Amino acid sequence: MMIREPPAFFHRGPSPLARVTFFTLAAIAIMIADHRFHALETVRLSLSVLAHPVQQLAAMPGEAVGRVADYFTSQNRLLRENQELKVKVLEQSAAAQESKLLKSEEEHLLAMTSSQSRYAEKGIIAEVLYTARNPFTRKIVVDKGLTHSIQAGMPVIDGTGVVGQVTSVGTFTSEVTLVTEKDQAVPVMVVRNGLRAIAVGSGKDGSIDIPFMPVSADVQNGDVFVTSGIDGTYPPGLVVAEVTTVQKDAARVFAKISAKPAAGVDYHRYVMMLPLSAATAPPPEAKADDTPRKSAKDRARARRQQ
Amino acid sequence: MRPADLTPLARDVMKMPASGGLVFFSLAIAYLVQVLPWSGNWLLVRPDFVLLVLIFWALHEPRSIGQGMAFALGLLMDVSDSMLLGQHAFAYVIATYGVQIFRVRILTFGFAEQTLHVLGVTVVACAVMLMLNLLLGADFPGFAYFVSPVATALLWGPVNWLLYLPAVRRSRGGSA
Repeated sequence: MMIREPPAFFHRGPSPLARVTFFTLAAIAIMIADHRFHALETVRLSLSVLAHPVQQLAAMPGEAVGRVADYFTSQNRLLRENQELKVKVLEQSAAAQESKLLKSEEEHLLAMTSSQSRYAEKGIIAEVLYTARNPFTRKIVVDKGLTHSIQAGMPVIDGTGVVGQVTSVGTFTSEVTLVTEKDQAVPVMVVRNGLRAIAVGSGKDGSIDIPFMPVSADVQNGDVFVTSGIDGTYPPGLVVAEVTTVQKDAARVFAKISAKPAAGVDYHRYVMMLPLSAATAPPPEAKADDTPRKSAKDRARARRQQ
Repeated sequence: MRPADLTPLARDVMKMPASGGLVFFSLAIAYLVQVLPWSGNWLLVRPDFVLLVLIFWALHEPRSIGQGMAFALGLLMDVSDSMLLGQHAFAYVIATYGVQIFRVRILTFGFAEQTLHVLGVTVVACAVMLMLNLLLGADFPGFAYFVSPVATALLWGPVNWLLYLPAVRRSRGGSA
């Protein structure tokens, strides 16, 4: 027997079924708007501002534990760490001096061609707050946001290589999508022979795939991939990954190459966010602009003719 | 002897409406616990505290807490878990709808049977979110993902006890 709804003595609003239909449709609409059109950044931003104090409060116990642990770190360990760091400094100082020389040469050359340096002068150091609480994606949240002029799309590196890219900016925090995230692509090249490729995150921790490389491609175990810089987002020359396995099966068109990310993608504490404008390659028209300055109208006309 | 309950709802300790402050405070605490820096395997088994408290209030305060609140809380969770906006909202609204349909039935039972009902609701909510993410092209995170709804349901007893405390104290104070 059906149980009938009680008579509507009081105003009760729409039925639960009507409500659930309305709200699920609204949720689907929001998902489409967010996924396809990225139209809801303001909503995200304002909600994140609302949630920020609570999140700070939630981060406190962890921070306190960390500080206490720091305090009780044994002298032995500190000494050992210090020693290791000193060795590292010595190792790197030679490379740094060489790079200084290269840098000055580059500046000299650039002065002759009057174009911009491709390397960022300096980035913004940020502290990693936590791994995004989301089992489906690989993201970290860092403590710099709009107030520190972070922009979506900025490349993020650590001491050893590329960590990822800023994908969402809040007021005081921002989300960095790691290079291991599924379908997160970085244009790379092999240091040894300059072979260009695209590194795509595999969605698993500590592994990056290099798809669409022909079986005949000259890639070996231990090859290092650095950013090629052709995308205009990542400056060229940042270490991305080291090849761990190469499977060349003649029955297939492409080789199966996996690599290990160079950066401590999952466990670093500080990262550096490189500014976008400096990393972006100059657009092709800029070369034609070197001589007298053209008005915007002229440039638009020139573009139309192309 | 106590007279037989004519309606199962008459047994509900919370015959008096809960104050808005208590509802807000409990949801805020649940959110606070939810946004602790969980990571790795802990993240996979993290119980959904917000959903649990939401279910509680949808059962006991159906006039003020319903799908609208579920939707808003869902959006908040989406932002703080850095997910696509609307996923948690979708799941929470479906869960709240389930609770609304079975409200009288759930309140008839004791804690153990209630836990089973809550398990059903949380599993559905998790399955909805899993399905949405798979549709969006994410990889299946493994069956450990379904530990979280079980953990959520297991917390139903303790959370109930905690949230009943103010009401019990008030009713004792009233009768004394």
